Amino acid sequence: MSDFTNNAIEIDQLPKYQEVRLNSLHPNYWKVILINISISFLLCGVGLAAFIYFNERVRPYAPYLIGTFVLVLILVILLYRASFKKRGFSLREKDIIYKSGIIAETTSVIPFNRIQHVALNEGMFSRMYRLATLQIYTAGGSSGHMSIAGIPADQAKPMKEALLKKLSLVEQ
Amino acid sequence: MNNDFSKPQRQSIAGVVIMAAAYLYKIIKASIIPIILLLVKLQAEKLTYIFIAMGAILIIALFFSYLSYRKFTFFLDDAKQEFVINKGIFNRSLLTIQLDKIQQVNINQSLLQKTIGVYSLSIDTPGGENNEVMIQAIDEQIAYNLKEHLLNGQKISFGEPASLAENTPFFKLSAITLFKVGLTSNYGSSIALLAGFLFALFHNTKEILQAFDTDNGQVEEAIKTGFSVVSAGILTTIFLFLLLAINIIRTFVIYFDFNISKHKLSLLLSSGLLAKKNTLVSPNKVQMTRYSQNYFQKKFNIINLKLRQVGSENLNKDDDIPKSNLQIPGCSPAEKDELLMMILGKLPEPSNTYLPNYRFLNIPIILMAIIPTGIFYIFWFNFRELHNYYPLSIVYFLVTCCMIYFSYKRHRLLVDQEFIIKRSGIWDVSHEIIVPHKIQAITTFQYPWHKRADIGHINLHTAAGIIHFRYGNYTEIKRLANYWLYQVESGSDEWM
Repeated sequence: MSDFTNNAIEIDQLPKYQEVRLNSLHPNYWKVILINISISFLLCGVGLAAFIYFNERVRPYAPYLIGTFVLVLILVILLYRASFKKRGFSLREKDIIYKSGIIAETTSVIPFNRIQHVALNEGMFSRMYRLATLQIYTAGGSSGHMSIAGIPADQAKPMKEALLKKLSLVEQ
Repeated sequence: MNNDFSKPQRQSIAGVVIMAAAYLYKIIKASIIPIILLLVKLQAEKLTYIFIAMGAILIIALFFSYLSYRKFTFFLDDAKQEFVINKGIFNRSLLTIQLDKIQQVNINQSLLQKTIGVYSLSIDTPGGENNEVMIQAIDEQIAYNLKEHLLNGQKISFGEPASLAENTPFFKLSAITLFKVGLTSNYGSSIALLAGFLFALFHNTKEILQAFDTDNGQVEEAIKTGFSVVSAGILTTIFLFLLLAINIIRTFVIYFDFNISKHKLSLLLSSGLLAKKNTLVSPNKVQMTRYSQNYFQKKFNIINLKLRQVGSENLNKDDDIPKSNLQIPGCSPAEKDELLMMILGKLPEPSNTYLPNYRFLNIPIILMAIIPTGIFYIFWFNFRELHNYYPLSIVYFLVTCCMIYFSYKRHRLLVDQEFIIKRSGIWDVSHEIIVPHKIQAITTFQYPWHKRADIGHINLHTAAGIIHFRYGNYTEIKRLANYWLYQVESGSDEWM
């Protein structure tokens, strides 16, 4: 019984998640994002071109439409660039932290002892650059999941193994 | 009496009837209009064919029910601590449920089951579909025995008699409270019911009249003349009266004889006028406890209490009745405290209060009050007809602003070492209580324009939904998040 202590917890002495240095995503992932943006905008662009080509009445407004299209494209690229720079993740001893967000700056923390399962995803373009997406599921529903894209595949696999090992340790 | 669940066993033979009735109900429900039309339009001599067809359907339904009865077995694997169900006529399926994943056992009785004298037993697991694990017909004694084994695993020795009768309920809902509940709450579903009923009435009357080739728009005509004769005011009164009446009747049907009793480690909630519903919950598997009170309920001194378990968030969408049984529709403040004691172990009385910043008001006021009123005035300038209605827009603006202000005033987070309470609401003031170790994940976020004001938001993800706290002091929010993470990560408490 003498070992038992119950001192008051100094909240300010606790480890601070907001001060953890985060690993940024692999620079190649920016290329993957660009490929994805170009594909979707290429499809939209083809549609727009066909629309302008086949509609005589719309044709005079073509410069405005194309101008808007380019403007949206630039805006999307800038927003994604900003969000790419914001993203970062870190594994602590007992939890995983992921920061993201296009406008708002969102930080999510999942304690290891609340993880349900872990999945590793490799998209078509990500695979070209040997990148992977780590997906972490909790019982907190879809909003409680975490999906970290742009981790080098050879780094993501041990990460997944480590998480799974911690999971089984918790369950014992 | 067979209380040994370790060998595969079938459900009660009465299950054949229950399943056949369920098949028939589905068929009839899907084809009620054609059947009525057939009966009305057909000549008398062909009626025999119809009866033969119906008889054939009945026999087929009975046959299939018998087959699925034969193929349906269940047993308890004591060594592995699993409950196993084998079922399916053509597609065999084997369901295995780990006992420690079971969060709730429902023992229900519909009107038909009541006449035959059997119960149905269904098991809720997190993420599982509700009716997947369901035994259609089972004797009361066996049902309660099985339930004890399912919820308590090894702790109960086999063969111990268990029944509803031996436990005296500690909480009962009186008829007066029920009446008060009917007067004050759950208008939403009654409105939906009434609207659905009126629509069905209108639609079906038209259809039947059309079948007789007599519909020339009489229904619409009748409604139009009805409106001109009876003033809209009287109609509204009738509608409100009907609504209240339906609400009270519905409340009585669902919650008649509502009582809660303690069953070893779990709580048994039972209620129902025509169909008896019994739900068993273990308090430590409740993820979120929520109590709420609206203005009328406050006047009547009743509180609505909800116990939310894993996945309640998704299951609320489809109006699943077994789920609503986790609701205690009305209790006095003292009874609420007693129930909270029962579920949480002690009464949560956190003293640290966190309030939102006044910026909480900005976006709702712009979106809900300023923009709609602005749009109205754009129309007002362009259409003369609207000129008489401008007082309405002022009333709308003021009411909306008041409501937003109330929601701001009521939005707060109360925290202590053991509990987190989020208070919110405009009309219904609700308190959502969670225990820190039930948190699954924490998300904090901040908009760039709030950086200088040090304002941020936090979402606490639990298995029964999210607790949001908006426009708080971000430094304090981060401190709290660190504290909760510490509590989750250092503790060894199971979240379920």
